[in-house]
Amino acid sequence: MNYRNLTSSEISALENSGCTSRDWKNISVSENFSPAKIRNVNFNGEVFLGENVEINNVFNLAGYRIEDNVAIRNVDSLSVDGETTFGNGTKISVLNEGGGRELIMFDRLTSQIAYMLVTCRHDNAFVETAERFIHVYCESKKSSTGLIGRGTSISHCGIIKDVWIEGPAKIEGISCLSTGTILSSPEDQVKISTGVTAKHFIIQSGTIISDGALIDNCFIGQGVRIGKQYSAENSAFFSNCEGFHGEAVSIFAGPYTVTHHKSSLLIAAMFSFYNAGSGSNQSNHMYKLGPLHQGILERGSKTGSFSYMLWPSRVGAFSVVIGKHYTNFDAGDFPFSYINEEDGKSLLTPAMNMFTVGTRRDSQKWPARDRRKDPIRFDILNFDLFNPYIIGKIINGSNIMKELLEKASKEQEYVTYKGLHIKRLLLKTCGKYYEMAIKIFIGLQVIKKLEQSDKSLPAKEALKDNPSLFCESWVDAAGMLIPKANYDNLIKEVKAKKIDSIDGFITALKETASEYEESSWAWCANLIKTRFGAEPSGLSREQLVQIINDWKENSIKLNNMILKDAEKEFDQSSKIGFGVDGGADERDADFNNVRGTYADNKFVLELNKESKEITDLAEKLIGILT
Amino acid sequence: MDNSEVQARVKKVIARVLKVNEETIADHSNFIFDLGADSLQSVELVAAFEEEFDIEMAEDKALEVQTVADAVKFISQYLK
Repeated sequence: MNYRNLTSSEISALENSGCTSRDWKNISVSENFSPAKIRNVNFNGEVFLGENVEINNVFNLAGYRIEDNVAIRNVDSLSVDGETTFGNGTKISVLNEGGGRELIMFDRLTSQIAYMLVTCRHDNAFVETAERFIHVYCESKKSSTGLIGRGTSISHCGIIKDVWIEGPAKIEGISCLSTGTILSSPEDQVKISTGVTAKHFIIQSGTIISDGALIDNCFIGQGVRIGKQYSAENSAFFSNCEGFHGEAVSIFAGPYTVTHHKSSLLIAAMFSFYNAGSGSNQSNHMYKLGPLHQGILERGSKTGSFSYMLWPSRVGAFSVVIGKHYTNFDAGDFPFSYINEEDGKSLLTPAMNMFTVGTRRDSQKWPARDRRKDPIRFDILNFDLFNPYIIGKIINGSNIMKELLEKASKEQEYVTYKGLHIKRLLLKTCGKYYEMAIKIFIGLQVIKKLEQSDKSLPAKEALKDNPSLFCESWVDAAGMLIPKANYDNLIKEVKAKKIDSIDGFITALKETASEYEESSWAWCANLIKTRFGAEPSGLSREQLVQIINDWKENSIKLNNMILKDAEKEFDQSSKIGFGVDGGADERDADFNNVRGTYADNKFVLELNKESKEITDLAEKLIGILT
Repeated sequence: MDNSEVQARVKKVIARVLKVNEETIADHSNFIFDLGADSLQSVELVAAFEEEFDIEMAEDKALEVQTVADAVKFISQYLK
């Protein structure tokens, strides 16, 4: 945009409206600027004003370019005082409170880049090279002039200092915003409201921060909700996180990390697709050489009310932690586990959380609750419940349980593994449950390939895979499921400077993500080969029928077990306290009217419908197999 | 194996897993409401029955069994 100096009549008009300036030459305006909507403003430095700008009652305004259609009303101070990168380049100590895994914030940070920077401390060359790209990017953001982007509204605010605001953000009633970037977008506005204090921050599009939240040294990604006096420091929150009431210190909150309760403290850990029960707490009070706070909760984990974990510990994907755990444990090999406390022991029951209503509902709701409306989505997210990463863990966990069972005597009540106790009796049973997941995964993958293919093709053509994409080990990089070979290759390319910028890094991640379906299929094809002795395209009709029937039988069995779990929510104990002043009839009627009946429950109906559809689809596919 | 032997062994298993006195277990005792089993213990009971009788039960159907009498009946099917 071209700017010009104010005319003398415009200066007079501004002075008549209660405005002052140390030097009116510091004020530049757009060609069609009108002073009519500028009142009671003290200009104390360089300011650039666009068209249709309304500014009322600003005690101190300096160092800003204010774009078209901006409204600023009743603000104590809005200034940039010297050169700043607006929060870009600020280091935050995530995952380990004592440092060593500092993450450099910048406004295009993605959960994947952050994950790689934070977890790859074994590879200094990678971290140093990637940090150099980030440094170059952050330097490009350096300026002594801030931005109030097009369409932004700022009203009834305290101090806003050294903050870059892409439009159209809505900022209302904040106490203080200092040294940060707000990356609002026309498709997905950022809103920051009453009583918020934020210092040293990056906020990406679609995020709402409200109601007295205290933010200090934090990265806040897209579609995040933080409010109700939540307090966070040295933490990164990626897409769709929610933080209310509680406290976060040094956390890497991967996508969909949710904490809603006043007494929950999340500290020095990495999460994703996580739900914190009230009073969730973690710590390490036994350190002597400084804190070693580092916890890993893999995707889909939950912590129950007033649960406690001693760091460092690791919780496997889709697991539930109940009770207080005073030993350091590693349950990473056992997805879908219950980890509860019994007589001071941390008791692991693998696979139990596969059959809960909660797991099924969570896996359905996450894709539906992706709030990001911005056409640029920074974090790459894969939502599949059963995927090569999880099934790989399940296979590994099954093998570990087999070994433990072989070594155990029948007199043993427990076996121990990495700080955990497992009931010997359950080793075989939990292995059977894991086997159900493997069969469902194989069936789902085969059916997907058959359904995606040209129906006129024979099955062997539809099931061809690309073995060059096979990689045994996978990584869950903060929401993105990626073959380890591809992950390692990205690191190599950064170190070799084949990827030589942040943009290049983001593009390379997106290209890798686009291969997810085919890489998953290559992984599944290899699994089929180990189990059936033939590649999918070489399977006989009988073998394919067996895969489809196994999928049908185990999917329905899984649904039945989830329904059994749902049934508990309608049993006698669930009705305690209902019909409070009446007898059994009143209790049942009260319960039915408040909670509904099992038979009419939407979730139950959907699951029953799904089981019917599974049967129909299996029959249809078997019928057309040649 | 006759029904009374199955029943006796079922009660022994229940007493061991749920840590209750065998004499308090009636034929129609409900694992959850009468004997206080939680969901983990329900799974443990299935595993213990399988080990005791050296059988493999259908996972979902086994979890539907709620009483001692049902357990005896259910297990007996696998022993025929």
